[in-house]
Amino acid sequence: MTDQAVEGRRLAARDNRLSDEMFITSLVAGAAVALFLLASILVPNFFQFQNVVNLVTNNWAVISLGIGVTFLLVSGNFDLSVGGVVALSGVLAVWFAQAADGANALSSGWGMPTWLAMFCALIGAMLIGTVNAVFVVALRVPSIIVTLGTMMLARGIAQVITQGSQRNTNLPSDFGMLGNMAMFGSSIKMPVVLMAILILTAVFVERKTVFGRLTYLIGANPVASRLSGVDNARHVIKLYLFSAVMAGVVGILLASEFKSGFSNRGTLMEFDALVISLLGGVAIAGGFGSVIGMFFGAIILATVTSAATGLVLSPDWQFTLKALAVFIAIMAQSWALARRHTG
Amino acid sequence: MIVQTAFAEKAQEKALSVRELTKDYPGVRAVDTVSFDIDRNTVHCLVGENGAGKSTIVKMLTGALTPTSGSMAILGRDYEPGSTQDARESGVGTLFQELHVVDQLTVLENLTLGMEASRFGFLVKSDLENRVVKTLAAIEPTIDPKARVSSLSVAQKQIVEIARAASSGASIIIMDEPTAALSEREVERLFGVIRRLRDSDVTVIYISHKLDEIFELGDNVTVMRDGKHIATKPLAEVNGRPELIEMMVGRAITHDYEPRGEIAGNPVLNVKGLSNHLLKDVSFHVNEGEIVGFYGLVGAGKTEVARAIYGADKADGQIDFKGRKRAASPKEAIAAGIALVPEERRTQGLFTELTIRRNIPIMNIRKLASFGIFQDEREKEVAREYVGMLGIATNSIEKYAEKLSGGNQQKVVLSKCLFADADMLLLDEPTRGVDVGAKSEIYDLIRDLANNGRAICIFSSELEEVLGICDRVFLMYDGQVQATIKNGAEVDIPHILNVVTGGGSENT
Repeated sequence: MTDQAVEGRRLAARDNRLSDEMFITSLVAGAAVALFLLASILVPNFFQFQNVVNLVTNNWAVISLGIGVTFLLVSGNFDLSVGGVVALSGVLAVWFAQAADGANALSSGWGMPTWLAMFCALIGAMLIGTVNAVFVVALRVPSIIVTLGTMMLARGIAQVITQGSQRNTNLPSDFGMLGNMAMFGSSIKMPVVLMAILILTAVFVERKTVFGRLTYLIGANPVASRLSGVDNARHVIKLYLFSAVMAGVVGILLASEFKSGFSNRGTLMEFDALVISLLGGVAIAGGFGSVIGMFFGAIILATVTSAATGLVLSPDWQFTLKALAVFIAIMAQSWALARRHTG
Repeated sequence: MIVQTAFAEKAQEKALSVRELTKDYPGVRAVDTVSFDIDRNTVHCLVGENGAGKSTIVKMLTGALTPTSGSMAILGRDYEPGSTQDARESGVGTLFQELHVVDQLTVLENLTLGMEASRFGFLVKSDLENRVVKTLAAIEPTIDPKARVSSLSVAQKQIVEIARAASSGASIIIMDEPTAALSEREVERLFGVIRRLRDSDVTVIYISHKLDEIFELGDNVTVMRDGKHIATKPLAEVNGRPELIEMMVGRAITHDYEPRGEIAGNPVLNVKGLSNHLLKDVSFHVNEGEIVGFYGLVGAGKTEVARAIYGADKADGQIDFKGRKRAASPKEAIAAGIALVPEERRTQGLFTELTIRRNIPIMNIRKLASFGIFQDEREKEVAREYVGMLGIATNSIEKYAEKLSGGNQQKVVLSKCLFADADMLLLDEPTRGVDVGAKSEIYDLIRDLANNGRAICIFSSELEEVLGICDRVFLMYDGQVQATIKNGAEVDIPHILNVVTGGGSENT
């Protein structure tokens, strides 16, 4: 083959890159649908509308966390602290709301009204986000290390407040309202609807706003973005605060749903949020990916685990299946990157 | 037959012979039928201005590039390296500007890296170690082979790397600007090492912009200009710096531009006493509508001046732009009306993974948004407008910046700056890696901008460029502005080269 023919083919291959982002997202969506159909053939009674609804509703928490995590990944930063923040904010909300006159330490709190307790818990979550931002932005510590630290810090504080277990007594009667509120006269709960609204908002922000553009620019080339007048530091601070608020909201809603503050709640959720983002085609090096992709990544993970566990395999297989999903995600990831860089 | 044998014997005295070596790039002949010989056990210097073809020759010698035509021979045997690995095995070692030593290992471990003797997977001691220790002791006895490399200075690390090349049997070692990061004392030490190498049957090819070093160290010199071989002769026969500079510059540089001298506009930029890790008390001013140049060699501090004005690096001193105080960040600089075309186009100026359309508005992105919502249609209009205005050769504004040629990429970067509505443009190496056609279009654009009252600062290591477009030129060496010259027919090029290579600025 002549050099020109090779060069021509190379250029033609590169032209296809125009739709890379859409391509990856469609691929993930297609994979999610295909997996669901496959599961429907293999697993009796899987092919039901209610099952589709369940796949989403059972995963509202992780998907909501995935929004903040995806934005940060696109900007080239990790957030492993979200699981810890879920535990901390839930425990704080309960602790602040518990009446002050409990019979023992675990049943006495600050006696705040529910709304104030939840608001203060959210402030607590933002403090963790602030710590992340300070270390990553001002002190330039790699984000994976910082957020690994705050992951343990947040859960550690939650464990101290709950003495290693949980607080669930002496709560105001309205504490369980938000997390259990049914919407539209159906069984769909408020947090699920909130997740849907957040996803749509995130997609709009990502595609249509200056804020979204800047997130991609910083991830694609932080040096060039700074020299082009982007305030990288300020933007990444906003992203960490946003991610912490998301985690705080999730933690508070879960605490409300179960009417308890449990220090082990949200364990490994930070990794699930990371896995669904990667499954959804977000580049671990930043600059590439989308919230829609992350959403379908979550559906893939949920389909695989729910179809297999309890129906085909025993629940003990859940981690092994997730591991498999992670490996596939990593391979798909490097395949996508190779396509981008050599294509 | 007899004649051939005689030729072969003669050739064997040459450590390296280059015959009619040529390297073509699309549209450019970087090296043009170059032939010269390098005598065995000498320090052979290679000099020339930027773009003269020195580094292309070095890349062909080290196997990083394949010649378009021509041949090379080592000690009379044909030498056709297919890779850098090939070159190493043929006895050609290279000391790159970036060091390739492993900080966490000891000197000895570094020297034997990749050559460790092993038995059943376990490392064993071998006479290899004795050999490298001897080599190191011979060229630089003060380095302890057991010391950890992280505890060594840059200069010492360099010497370790040289020792590695020497002990792995290199008969030729190429050194490309080895003294760029060294202090004066370290340079002396390196020279000692190089001389000892030469005395122990190693030929050194030495590339440097610093002419004093050439005269101090070299036996022979090869001068390159515009890809062509100008001369190869013993340095003893070169009549000092003036003759060497004359050979490097050759013809008088032709201008198609009538320099205007200092333009009597309002001063827009006043810099006083700018200093940082590299700059020493840099002061100058730039007037409205003026094109000024900063000329100096790599490492003279040009980029540092640009970045300090732009708020990208910290520096002490006063920077007064239109009566405002200095910018603390690029963001503030852009808001004040300063835009920078950075030195490294692909990593600092351009988002190669984005399309032309997405690149152009970046420096003033909020202009295309209302209430934070981005106007895609406006963006497309803007992109089409700039593609037309600057003549960016592309069939679509949706083309990825990565796929454009150097010149078109640079036009995209310039579009970014223009869209930022800047009153002053800082252009760092604006035409590096840009083909001739795009170069003159970029120059025309720069002149237009100046005629419209913008102040332009050009930071360049190409003399032809600064003399071709600037009204005034600041000559930099060693972090300082050594002299200011008004551009014009009477510019004294040997004097300029003398100043920027450290020859002092007396007799201005």
